[in-house]
Amino acid sequence: MNSDPNPSNRPQEIEPIAGSARAPVWLFVLVAVLAFWGMGFLDNHGGGFDPLVYKPYKSLAELKADQPRTGNDAFRKGQKVFESYCILCHQSTGKGLPIQYPPLAGSDWVQAKDPGRLIRLVLDGIQGTITVSGQQLTGAMPPWKENLTDEDIASVLTYIRGNQEWGNSASQVTPDQVKAIRGKMAGRSTAWSPEELLKVNENE
Amino acid sequence: MVLAAVPSVPPVALAEIDSSCRVPVLFLFACAAFWVVTASIFALIASLKLHMPDLLADCPWFNYGRVQAAQMNALIYGFAGQAALGVALWLIARLGRTVLVQPGYVVAGAIFWNAGIKLGILGILIGDTTGYEWLEMPAYASPILFVAYAIIGVCGLLTFHQRREPTLYVSQWFLLAALFWFPWIYSTANLLLVFFPVRGVLQASINWWYIGSLSGIWFGFIGLAVIFYFLPRLTGGPLYSNPLAMVAFWTLALFGGWGGIHHGAPLPAWIPSVSTVFTVLTLIPLLAIAINWNKTLGPANWRESLPLRFVLFGAVAYLLAGALSIADSLPQVSQTTHFTFFTTARTQLLLYGFFGMTMFGAIYHIVPLLTQSEWPSAKWADRHFTLAALGIALYVASLALGGVFQGRALNDPSKSFLDVLRIGLLFFRVSTLGDVLMLAGNGLLALNLGVWLVRCCRACCVPAIVAVVKPQMAGLAR
Amino acid sequence: MNHGPLIFLGVFFALALSWFGLVFEPQLQLGNAQPTTNVVNTAELYPQRRPGLAKQGLDVYRSLGCASCHSQQVGQTGRTYDVALNDAGTNRAAVVGALLKVMPGATAAELEKLVAGPVPLKVLKDVTRAVADAAVGKLEPTGAKAEVNVIPTGPDIARGWGKRRSVAEDFLFDQPVMLGSQRIGPDLADVGSRLPVAERHLLHLYNPKIFEKKSVMPPYRFLFEKRKIGREPSPDALRFNSEFAPERDCEIVPTDQAKALAAYLLSLRADAVIFETPMTVAVATSTNAPAVSTNAPVAAATNAPAK
Repeated sequence: MNSDPNPSNRPQEIEPIAGSARAPVWLFVLVAVLAFWGMGFLDNHGGGFDPLVYKPYKSLAELKADQPRTGNDAFRKGQKVFESYCILCHQSTGKGLPIQYPPLAGSDWVQAKDPGRLIRLVLDGIQGTITVSGQQLTGAMPPWKENLTDEDIASVLTYIRGNQEWGNSASQVTPDQVKAIRGKMAGRSTAWSPEELLKVNENE
Repeated sequence: MVLAAVPSVPPVALAEIDSSCRVPVLFLFACAAFWVVTASIFALIASLKLHMPDLLADCPWFNYGRVQAAQMNALIYGFAGQAALGVALWLIARLGRTVLVQPGYVVAGAIFWNAGIKLGILGILIGDTTGYEWLEMPAYASPILFVAYAIIGVCGLLTFHQRREPTLYVSQWFLLAALFWFPWIYSTANLLLVFFPVRGVLQASINWWYIGSLSGIWFGFIGLAVIFYFLPRLTGGPLYSNPLAMVAFWTLALFGGWGGIHHGAPLPAWIPSVSTVFTVLTLIPLLAIAINWNKTLGPANWRESLPLRFVLFGAVAYLLAGALSIADSLPQVSQTTHFTFFTTARTQLLLYGFFGMTMFGAIYHIVPLLTQSEWPSAKWADRHFTLAALGIALYVASLALGGVFQGRALNDPSKSFLDVLRIGLLFFRVSTLGDVLMLAGNGLLALNLGVWLVRCCRACCVPAIVAVVKPQMAGLAR
Repeated sequence: MNHGPLIFLGVFFALALSWFGLVFEPQLQLGNAQPTTNVVNTAELYPQRRPGLAKQGLDVYRSLGCASCHSQQVGQTGRTYDVALNDAGTNRAAVVGALLKVMPGATAAELEKLVAGPVPLKVLKDVTRAVADAAVGKLEPTGAKAEVNVIPTGPDIARGWGKRRSVAEDFLFDQPVMLGSQRIGPDLADVGSRLPVAERHLLHLYNPKIFEKKSVMPPYRFLFEKRKIGREPSPDALRFNSEFAPERDCEIVPTDQAKALAAYLLSLRADAVIFETPMTVAVATSTNAPAVSTNAPVAAATNAPAK
């Protein structure tokens, strides 16, 4: 300890030694606190350690949610199913053909409060003379239970029931509802007749 | 003088240790002093170019980007690297109570190191820069540095292995860790960036990892080793707590190398987040070190010893730089400070304020012991401290404040970019003054050291040469 | 703590942790990244390798150390959602009915006028994802085509430096990747979209004061040749206005380095829509075509300065 840098005036050189005072306990508590904070921070900002997730996204699910798509998936998917299978008979306007193919637009069958009859109809087909919104039509509709999945049937029924362009505004149909009825009607192998179907309660 | 490691042999006398270290360590220090002046000149040129863009504009060698890169490399590898190695070797020899192994090889290594840096800086100025921050030296220069380091590092390791003093002091842990870590990060970074480049933005991730590790582990650990040695040594008392130092050492080893990746980077969100979490955790070692130093100092009188003044400044700068980097790693803060002069301020606080000043203190303490004589001018040494301290304080304060204002303007889209620049430049002008002061201070150190070396060489080398040559001349005359 | 080898071992593992986390793990995740497809135009791979001249320009950029003043990373702090009506469909009444539910405060008469007007029509601005989805869900069954627009937000984006943040894919083929860490000059990640004309860059390199009197960027005159005009002026010669023009009989011609650098700057674009950066960039059109993402420049660049 001197201002004179001359070494010959310095006291004997002693290398430093380390004392043995204890480390304070609160330091270790702080480690735990910071570690806890760190885990929370990584949860919030870590993006799930996914290489595709960048700030400001917090997870891959959030990122996927922002990918281009429109709002009503079931509706859009249902439109695709309709345009692939149903449009040939029921037409793109949903008006069908007189005498042969029933209209879906404004149809009382379609806009029934519960979709039970509709689901059965699509699953197993329908044959005979039917009265739709005052019109009488005679024809046959093939069964779709082999060709369409529960999701497909639910989405296409959602589409036709909710299509406001046609003037329909009935409730959605979920795949679970279709699955339940498919299970109940598992043994059936013939098409429905309108009379038979009218006897079924629509909310079953 | 290589002695076999015999545990029961008593420790070597301090004077003998110092004399074994004399030539290599003085050589390293002299080269370091040369490079710090060179770096300061480059820094001043770069700084002036931002005020007067037409300065040297027609000379591609002195393009801003190249001069800036040359300045950083001269500072980091030329000054800081060599000062670090010189001090490290001396400390390892002193604390192990043994002589330095193969001083001749160390000198050879240092010559290689300087040759590599000269080649590297030249390469940067002619445009062969690699494009990576702090690794700009071209591919033909970095292997030279690596080989030079290997030579010096092995000598240091052997000296450590041959220690007579079985108890390891705190500084030795830090030095061991630092000596080991530098070749790992240097070789990894160069291999994965320059020789076998990795894909895309991974290069940036590795670059930032290298910068963080170099600052936190290499410079951090060696600077800490020096401060842990000199604080008790120069105040006469023991270090307050060994357990606290252990806590600091291990937590810093675990958490210290993760810093430097900010949240705006084009990397997946987890990488900057992980960097933030670990940087915040370095609060633990920072507190442990602060407590240790505070209790060790007690009522020390810093006016009395020049090396102590430098080391104290370095200690305060370390704690401040650590606190700033913890703050800077948080996304809310870095949203304002990233891409501004704040990061420059923080880096220079660490490099110059902490590491540079600590090394200066060590040099001012060690050189008298090695040469067994006094400084040519104690006044110059004193002035050096004043100039350096003032220069760094001006530089860091102005750029840190300026950076915050600049960042807030950057985040405000209604401010045009020119406004942002003008705000930054306002504070930058003050920092140029800081650059001038630092250059002056470094110049004084170089002068002091230069005069000293000339005197020292005249004192011992010339009579030795005369003693050899005179009989031969006499023999020839017969 | 007196046993050297044990300390070394401990230090090895402790320090290796950061190597593991910041070098090894990212390499595992991103090391073999391949070009991804543009989400909108799925036939297009992104990124494309830079064409030859632009690649040479990258080298010039590196050699001059441009990254010490310019950054190349656009940030993003959030995103907001808009709802746009792209097609009013055939049942206008139903659309108006749905819009009445979705746009509070609007009258039926206003909405009828809006629905009859040009599309796309911004129905909602700056709402949350849930609200936007619900709005589209109400609009779609009416036969209208509506879309949720994702709009990245952040100060860099607001400043016009990019339309979305920079991500790893943007730098896939570059070596070295020079992201920069200072913004003494503006960010350049998307400068090719902002300033898509080579001559603008060449003029700026020759004398930055042409475009900004207070610029601190140095003039890169050594990238250009000043020579006497021969029989005819060179086709490459820069065109100045009277304030900055050289002497009467001289012209300034860019060297190969300058041209390469300009090509590189033109190739710097970060506006493709990929999986990591969802965004909707709509083009205003009065047809019923759905919104598409385009690479149209945000601001037209002037060819020669006319001040």
